[in-house]
Amino acid sequence: MAQTSPRSQKSPYPLWFFVPAAVIHGVFFLAPTVKSFWYSLTRWDLSTAEFIGLENFRQFFSEPFLVQGLVNTLIYAVTTSGLKTVCGLLLAVLLTGNIFARGFLRTVVFFPVLVSTIGIGITFTVMMHPTRGIINVALEALGIDGPGWLTNPSLALFSVALVDLWKGVGLATLIFIAGLAAISTDYYEAARIDGATRFQQFWRITLPLVRPATVTVVTLSLIGGLRSFDLIWAMTRGGPGFSSDVVASVIYKQYQAGFYGLSTAGNVILFALIVAIILPLTLWFNRREVSQ
Amino acid sequence: MRHIRPYITGGITLLFAAVIFILPFLFIAIQAMKSKSEASRLNFSLPQEWLFWQNLIAVFKARDYQLLLAYFNSTLITVASVSILVILSAMVGYIMQRRRTSWNAIAQIALFMGLMMPPAVVPTIGLLQDLGLFKTIHGMVLIQVAYNLSFSTLLYRSFISTIPRDLDEAALIDGAKPWQIFFRVILPLLKPVTVTNIVVQSIAIFNDFTNPLYYLPGKENVTVQLTLYNFQSMYTSQYNLLFMNILLVTIPPLIVFIFFNRQIVAGMTAGAVKG
Amino acid sequence: MTNLTLTQIRKAFGALEVIKGIDLDVRSGEFVVFVGPSGCGKSTLLRMIAGLEEASSGTIDIGGADVTYAEPSKRGIAMVFQSYALYPHMTVAENIGFGLSLARRPKAEIEAKVRAAAETLQLTSLLDRKPKALSGGQRQRVAIGRAIVRDPKVFLFDEPLSNLDASLRAQMRLEIAELHARLKATMIYVTHDQTEAMTMADKIVVLNGGRIEQVGSPMELYRNPTTPFVAGFIGSPKMNLYGGPIAERMGCATYGIRPEHIRLSNEAGTWQGRVRHIERLGADAILYLDVPELGEMIVRTEGETPFSPGTILWASPISGAEHKFAA
Repeated sequence: MAQTSPRSQKSPYPLWFFVPAAVIHGVFFLAPTVKSFWYSLTRWDLSTAEFIGLENFRQFFSEPFLVQGLVNTLIYAVTTSGLKTVCGLLLAVLLTGNIFARGFLRTVVFFPVLVSTIGIGITFTVMMHPTRGIINVALEALGIDGPGWLTNPSLALFSVALVDLWKGVGLATLIFIAGLAAISTDYYEAARIDGATRFQQFWRITLPLVRPATVTVVTLSLIGGLRSFDLIWAMTRGGPGFSSDVVASVIYKQYQAGFYGLSTAGNVILFALIVAIILPLTLWFNRREVSQ
Repeated sequence: MRHIRPYITGGITLLFAAVIFILPFLFIAIQAMKSKSEASRLNFSLPQEWLFWQNLIAVFKARDYQLLLAYFNSTLITVASVSILVILSAMVGYIMQRRRTSWNAIAQIALFMGLMMPPAVVPTIGLLQDLGLFKTIHGMVLIQVAYNLSFSTLLYRSFISTIPRDLDEAALIDGAKPWQIFFRVILPLLKPVTVTNIVVQSIAIFNDFTNPLYYLPGKENVTVQLTLYNFQSMYTSQYNLLFMNILLVTIPPLIVFIFFNRQIVAGMTAGAVKG
Repeated sequence: MTNLTLTQIRKAFGALEVIKGIDLDVRSGEFVVFVGPSGCGKSTLLRMIAGLEEASSGTIDIGGADVTYAEPSKRGIAMVFQSYALYPHMTVAENIGFGLSLARRPKAEIEAKVRAAAETLQLTSLLDRKPKALSGGQRQRVAIGRAIVRDPKVFLFDEPLSNLDASLRAQMRLEIAELHARLKATMIYVTHDQTEAMTMADKIVVLNGGRIEQVGSPMELYRNPTTPFVAGFIGSPKMNLYGGPIAERMGCATYGIRPEHIRLSNEAGTWQGRVRHIERLGADAILYLDVPELGEMIVRTEGETPFSPGTILWASPISGAEHKFAA
């Protein structure tokens, strides 16, 4: 029946279009990623690698400051992701409402997303100065004794997370605005005819229907939070002590100290962490999508 | 009264939000124009003397005009990487969207890894050293291309799905070769998403700090973000110059944002909603 | 002279065979319409002739050359797409001349050919416009112009009128028919609309389930459909088709009578029925009868019909206009 043709026609979509991108991505991203699994098992000085088994990982999970980096990463990712999701949705609802200077406010909220993280980090470090910083000076004027935002070890990580929220909430808001715009106003009109209050409209219509945007915001901000490095590095360099260290800053510190194997083990742990969190989350989100 | 209250609370909330988001930028601008001793007080008062030009010149002159070199390097890296990114990711997005092939599954996995995974830094440094690309501008360009391909490809792929296949087939019948179909028919139609890609990726690459920190150390290849980072430790007593530097780093994205607001918003949300 | 020959063409997508062995000869200058319900394979067949799909087996011969595995652009065909597929970033002139410019023809030649095509299609004043700025009918003409400059042996049309509104469709039908008369070119036209097939074709190819059901001139198919499928597809309203006792009595598997071949009477006739509904179209009226013996029967009668819903009346076939199908 279906015999093979003597000469197969050429596809108008040639596979060689993949080649340049595949070479660059393969050589500079995928290959080092694969190699990292090997180097994480070695004591390595870039020229010779000595196999030491799981020693780097053992060290990672036994040194208290490294373990703290791991815990901090989780805390930081969950905090920033949660805050961005909640604040982003609230801001988006506000900024899609009938409100004065809406376009300008959207711009104002979004602009920090585009600004240099280092610049923002330095600015807030100065503003969070325990005695002279304008935040504490303003609090003092209100009769509140402001904390040492970045000098108090139990607060530093959360202070950075707040700045991360300030810088990143604009993107979450933008995604939520796009999600809200996709909800037909018919639903709200029908709900009003059914007698739903504004609050009920938010819970029963907005929240379920904006779900795709929520999934995106949660996923993106979690990935961003887990990989977070530059803001933390610009503001605290992991300090005071190791109180605001995260895996990404540990990777850099171990690299600087010449512990390349250990640094790479940190990298592998960060992969594992991201996969272990994002993969089940994505599957769970998709499953709910299907069952709905 | 009951009708006005939501607007009052809304208004107050918004005023509050506006203050939170605008105040830090005002702070940057004011600090940048103060004298050294005034700036070191870190407060929000207006400068007694406005020293905009003096501070500007001082920042540029610092460390043998390092900032000028940094701007040159950053611009070079940004322009080169974005140009390569645009062409390569449009090609990949096009084939991924148009052709049903088993390679797509592999491309898909690579794409998701690129979006999700942090790069393995030290092995990459080892690789760059082996290739003689460590601490070089072109090595940095290749890294930026590799790391940002996924996002650009995603943008292109979703946009290409809106271009009817009939156009490809019409061109095929008109006698266009595969590369002619792409470069003469498809690529010109991708202009809106190409603009988005250029703008969004330029900002991302220009603002990138981590990758130059790892792969481009050394004075001669310094980038804008690295200069800022170095100035931070150097200028602990000269906050006016530090903030002038921050102001300078903030201005390019501001200008881009003013002109390409719409494309940035489109790119951020389109890529994100699918991602 | 034969211009296009299909021999035992088959096409399978994986395990699914959508074209199940098609043989067809198209003479030079003929206007052939492929018609059939959606999913019958008519568009796939056209796309195989164009070279946009590869035949799984069989041969395609155009103008005496075997083009079964030739590139689309090397087959001597031109195609007008349902969506027109005009390049949005090019002007009308650039759209029409794109193929020539790809073939690196001299500028003067391209310009002359584009101008000639534009004159044929009354597009001269629109040459500098972009497709966005054209109406549906104008876009259609540009798409045809792009086909004309290729000077093809065979024109292929893939449902070209389905995006137009009813009145424009009637006008474009006429324009394409006139174009065919003027160019005397071979044209193959795909549609699901039997009116388009009847009004435009020299030869209709009725396709069903990946096979040719019947080939013939419009009136041949109208007068002598060989299968119930063709009988039901050609002609509007559809032919009344009945199986069961009446077919048995007539000595066939299916008995058919066209709505326009039934006479109505108050007094006597073959079948008694009750008028359920009347559609008055002006010149004609369509009656829907409930005939206890047969089920529903559709009758076309004069517009001033005296009957009204609820009336009991008699219907009789005009003798000789009945159809008996073995299948």
